[in-house]
Formats: sequence, C-alpha cells, structure tokens
Amino acid sequence: MKKIWLAFVLILFVAGCGTQNENLAKGKELIKSDKRRKEERAVREFKLALQQPIDNAEAHYLLGFYNSQEFYEPDTTDWQEASITARGEQMFLAYQAEQRKYLERLVFETLRDDDLDVQNAALDALKRIYRKGDRKRFLSQLQKAIKSNDNRDRHNAHWVLGHLGKDDPGTIVPILVKLLDHRRMETRLNAVKALGEVGSEEAIPVLATLIESGSAKWKRDREEPEVRQLAVEALGKIGGAAVPELVKIVQNKGSSLRVDAIRALAILGDEKVVEPLLEALKEQSSREVVIPLN
Amino acid sequence: MLKKIKRFSKPYNSVFIVLLFVLILGLGCDNQYYDERLKMQVQQLDSDLKNRWSTSGVVVLNTTPNGPADKAQLETGELISYIIAEHPVRSIGDFNSAVKQALDEDNDLILYLKDKSPLRIALRRRGDKIGFSVEGSGTVRVKQIQSGTLAANADIQVGDIVEKIVDERKIYSIDDYKETLGKLSEKQVTFRTSELIGVKIAAVNALGDLGDIRAIEPLVDIFKNSPEFSLRKGSISSLQRLVELSVLNDLFHQFQNANVNQLPTDGLQPQQLESAAILGLLTVDRIENTATLKAPFGTQFRHRSEALYQKINEGQLAELAQEYIQIDVEPEQEIRRACLAILGILKPISAIDALIAVLENPAEIPGIRFQAGLALSQIGEPAVDALIVAFEKEDTSTKDIAASALGGIGGVKARDRLINALERSSEPAIQLTLVDAIAKIGDAPSIQALERQRQQYQQDEDSGIRIFLDEVFNSLEKGSM
Repeated sequence: MKKIWLAFVLILFVAGCGTQNENLAKGKELIKSDKRRKEERAVREFKLALQQPIDNAEAHYLLGFYNSQEFYEPDTTDWQEASITARGEQMFLAYQAEQRKYLERLVFETLRDDDLDVQNAALDALKRIYRKGDRKRFLSQLQKAIKSNDNRDRHNAHWVLGHLGKDDPGTIVPILVKLLDHRRMETRLNAVKALGEVGSEEAIPVLATLIESGSAKWKRDREEPEVRQLAVEALGKIGGAAVPELVKIVQNKGSSLRVDAIRALAILGDEKVVEPLLEALKEQSSREVVIPLN
Repeated sequence: MLKKIKRFSKPYNSVFIVLLFVLILGLGCDNQYYDERLKMQVQQLDSDLKNRWSTSGVVVLNTTPNGPADKAQLETGELISYIIAEHPVRSIGDFNSAVKQALDEDNDLILYLKDKSPLRIALRRRGDKIGFSVEGSGTVRVKQIQSGTLAANADIQVGDIVEKIVDERKIYSIDDYKETLGKLSEKQVTFRTSELIGVKIAAVNALGDLGDIRAIEPLVDIFKNSPEFSLRKGSISSLQRLVELSVLNDLFHQFQNANVNQLPTDGLQPQQLESAAILGLLTVDRIENTATLKAPFGTQFRHRSEALYQKINEGQLAELAQEYIQIDVEPEQEIRRACLAILGILKPISAIDALIAVLENPAEIPGIRFQAGLALSQIGEPAVDALIVAFEKEDTSTKDIAASALGGIGGVKARDRLINALERSSEPAIQLTLVDAIAKIGDAPSIQALERQRQQYQQDEDSGIRIFLDEVFNSLEKGSM
C-alpha cells in the first residue's frame, strides 16, 4: 500500500516538473541542499531559467536575491550583473510580473535578510517601485510595516522611508509627520528617526514641538523620553536651520535633553553654540541654600 | 450558573473602575507646582534624566522677584535634590520629638555630638529603636546605650553631649517636595541642590571639539578650580584636543588662503595631513591626489584655525601643563598624563627642567616617567644636554628613560654619548636599553658600534645582550631589504 502511494507521489512530481521551469526548480533544489557553492550554482540555474518562457517572476527574484559579486572576477560582465543595482533591477522585474506578491515579499521578507547586499538590493528595487510602480499601494504597505508589532518591520520601513524621503521629501515628510500621532510608541520612534534620515528642514517645527512636550503640564501631553531623545538626534542630522532649536534646548534648564542637544551641536561644529555652552559651564555647582521664612 | 455569567458580562463596573483610575492618574501627574510660601515655581525632573544620572529632584523654573526664594538667591535651573531640617536638642523632649520626626519615612538621621564628626544613623526597619537614651536640660547628654543596637556599635559614649539632629530628605517628585516641606519647615528651609554634572561634562567635551578660542579661558578655569575630577579631566582632554588642532594650522592655512575645501595632496605636508585625517578633519584620496576637508567641522575650522593657533601659542597652556605634570601639584595620574601629552605637542623649551624632574622622580609611576622622556624626545635637540646629565645619574630607571629619549632624538652628540656608555657598561639591563636606543638612531657609526658589541659577545652564546643584538640586526636587515 505504502509503495503504491509513493509511486503516485512520484508520478505527480514528474508530471508537475513538466509544466514547471526546470532550471528554476533545479536552482531552488540546490539552495535547499547542503552542496558546496550551492548559491553560485543556483544562480547559474536561475540565469538559465530566465531564458525560458515560464515562471520568470520567481527566477528574477531569486537571481536578485542570490547573485553576488563574490562569485566572479572583478570587471567581468557577470560581475557587473551582480552589482546591487542590477540585483535590485531583477527584484523589480519580479515585482512587475507579479506586483502584489513581490511587493509584500520585498517589504516584509527581503528587507529582513541578514545580508546587507540583499537589503540594499531590495531598497534599490523599492526605489524603482516608488518611481515606476504602484506608488499608492507601496506607501500603504510601508505604513503597514512601520505600524507593525514586529520591530524588524518597523525598523526596515523607517529605513526605506528615510531613503525615499531624501529624493521626495514633499510626499514622504507629511506621511512621517502624521505617523508621529500613532498610538504605538515604537512607530512614532521610527517615524522620528526617518525624519532625521530625510533631513528636511520642514520637519523642524514638528520635532521641536515634540521635544518641548516633555515639560507639558499633563502626562498625556508629554511624549515618551525615548522618542524625544531621538527627535533631538534627528534635529542634529537635519543640521543647518535646526541649530537654533538645538541651542534653545541647551538653554532650557528644565530640559532633560540638554546633553543630547550639546552632543548633536558638537558634531555640527556650528560656532553659534559656543556661547550657550560657555553659559552652561557657569551654572551653579552643588550647594546648600538656606531660605528664611517669616 | 446563568446568573453568574450575566453578572460577569455586565461591563459597567469595569468601565467605571477604568474611568476612575484614569482620572486619578491624570490628576496625580501634574508636574509643576507654585510654592506660595517660597514664591517660586518648581517642575519635576524628567524621568529620563533621573534614570540617566541617578539624580532626582525638582527643578526651579522661576522665582518671583523679592520673594523668599529670590532673596536667598536660588537660581532658575537649580535642581533641588534634598530638603534638610535641623533640630537643635536642648531637652529630653526635643530629642525624642526630633528623633521621631527625622526617622519618619526614611529611617535615617544624622546625629551631631559635640567634638565628634557627624554620625549617620540608618535603621533597618521602621520601628527599630535608635538604641540610646538621654538626660539633662539645656545640655543634653547620652544617658544609657542599649547593647546589640546600632548605637552600641557606633562611636557613641555615655556622657557625650548631643547638639542637634539633622534630617535629610531626598526628593523624588513634586509630591515629595510638597509633603516634606510641609512637615519640616518652621523657621527656615535648607535645600541641597545637585549640579547637573552631565550637562557640564558634555559642554566641556563639545568645546574641545569645536576648536574655538573662546573656550580656552573657561576650560582652564574649570581645570584649575572645579572640585569635580570628571570635569577637570574633561577640560584637560578638551584643551589637549585644542592643542592638537592648533598645530595643524599650517595645513588649514593653506585651505583658507586658497579659499577652498579641497587641495591636491602633493602640495601639503604629509605628517600634518595624516594627523588631520586621524582626527577626522579631512579625507585623503591618494589615487585622485586630493585632500578634502570634512563637512561640517573641517570646513568651518579652516576659518578659525589661525586664531586658535595664535591663542595657544601665547604660552599660557604650556605653562599650565608644566605646572600640573608634578605629582605634588596634581594627584590624578590621568591629568598628569594629559599635561605631558600637551607638552609633547607644544614642545616648549622652557618645560625641559620640569620634564627632567618628572623623569627623575622616584615617587612617580614608571609609565609617567617614560612619558616625560617621550615629551623630551619630542622637544628634540634642545633637550639633549639635560638628558645627558640625567643619564649620568645613579638611578637605573632614570638612566634607562634618558637613554631611550636620547635614542629618539638622535644627532651626533646623543649618539656619541650613548655609544661611549655602551662600550663602558657591563650592566645587562642598561646595555639592552643602550643597544635599542643606538639601533633607533641607526646611522653608520651606530651600526658599527653595535657590530663591535656583537663581536665582543660572540663567544657568549647564552648572554641576553648577544641574543638581543642578533634580533636587532635581524630587524635592521629586514628593514633595509
């Protein structure tokens, strides 16, 4: 009975292979195996798979995922085809073939990979999607990710939004600003970080308000210390027009973020900060003060 | 059973409780308070700051002009960490009520006995007895000490005169502040404020990085006068950094003169270029032949460099460093080291005697004596005579360090003295140092002298100097290859 069953499965498998891209299947098999230089060999299969008319989306994606310049001599055609941008393009081609599936995969799976090259290739692909693909859908996926309860997704989304914002602050900054009201503290935190990465001066007032909320009278109006601290760092990254805000923090003696502001200013090297720092040095040392009462 | 389920499914109760809870939380979270009696506004310190520096308390936001707080010169921004109450003891009743009040809540008081240093008494549990009783009126003395209590183990004797009891209350929140003040103060209030040392340390460090001349005087002032080691250490490191920056003036001058942020590397001095790259002020691209000032600091600093250079070379810092390398002036070794480093960079000839004194000082730790030698070798030629005199001294460490420094400087005079010493010496320890120093000079007469030594010790297979000479020649050959 068992044998018949096994034979049945085998027949099904063989029949299935007929309709599938053989090179693709071979490549995937290799990846799962524990053979030597399996990735390098799999990449060769994926390249062959692309020459066949079926299942191209996955072959594009896997080629983008696994191809690495380490496999080749520098400056050869293969080597150039394994550059980050070329890999990003492969991932983008996969997206073009099957938009929904690969958008989700890129945002929630590929970005999580440990390999920095893979992450950068995914970023490249996502930048292409932003320019040429379904931007609206992409942005809503990114917002879903930054609101996710998984820290990796939030972090990756902030990273991508930061990069996108550098090229198109007009669209991205308002999205990030809106996220500052989100109920999840970690989401707000990542939005603040992304605003720092974008470095747009438009974010300065909202960051300043957020920082100042620390001295609000009621707890519900006060932003969490972690977020406020990162907002100071973000101002430091924006630099230039943010210097007066940072100086204001240094001068605010009730603020707990003075040290962070001072550090940010030290990196910026702006002369305007020398005077406030010298003022801070003149503050009272520890002492006892006696106040007589009538 | 059904009833039970019904009762649980009613959501009203829980909603009500939640609402009440939120209301209480909201009311309790007011973080500012205007003190009517002292006429000042205080604010609770943010929780993040509390965690960062283990400080706590309330910050003075503002004081009303001519109010008690203003008259006592309490300043905006001061952090009130403790409220202190003094209870003078003139009767048994005074004593008992003072103890009761002081131990309330924190189980902790400070006892002042006549002619003795203040004694902090911290009871383990609420309700524990202080362990002694008193007698008398006007002058109150210890009457009896109970065995097995804290008082029995402390420095308290029967007959000691009790002067006063001091109660220190640490302040964590606005509520603490209100409550403690309400209980303690009668005729006067004493606050102990805490310096936010973290802010000052950050400011001191930042001033070192900014490379601005206005920072020099205040940093010197803190270095000389602050009681806080961390601040003094921070300020001397920042001064050291400013000195390091100032000696790169020639390099930055070239950028400033050309009014550009990028120059070809081949027109610039390689050593300065390297130091500037290490300090993170510029990037060097050998292939493209470019040195580019790093924004924002590098590009800004090219405008300030000249002024800093002028200021540092007025000599004030060299004098300061010279004073603080002495162990009897400066007990902290990290600070003495920083001062030696400053002298090594500035190379003032006037510091030679002071450096020799450190080098020869048997009370100084060996590492610092070596660093003094290093600074002397950085000063170079002008220090040779003084080093030769030091080398003639009996003390082996002094000889050792002076010989190394002479090797570092080189020149005919230093070389000949070292070779002469090597040829007369029979002490293995000093021989090794001499061989090393002479090899460092490495010119033809030095090599010949070492060669003569090698021949002299050729028969002596196991001698340390023979093995060392072989090693030296090995590395010399490798170096010349």
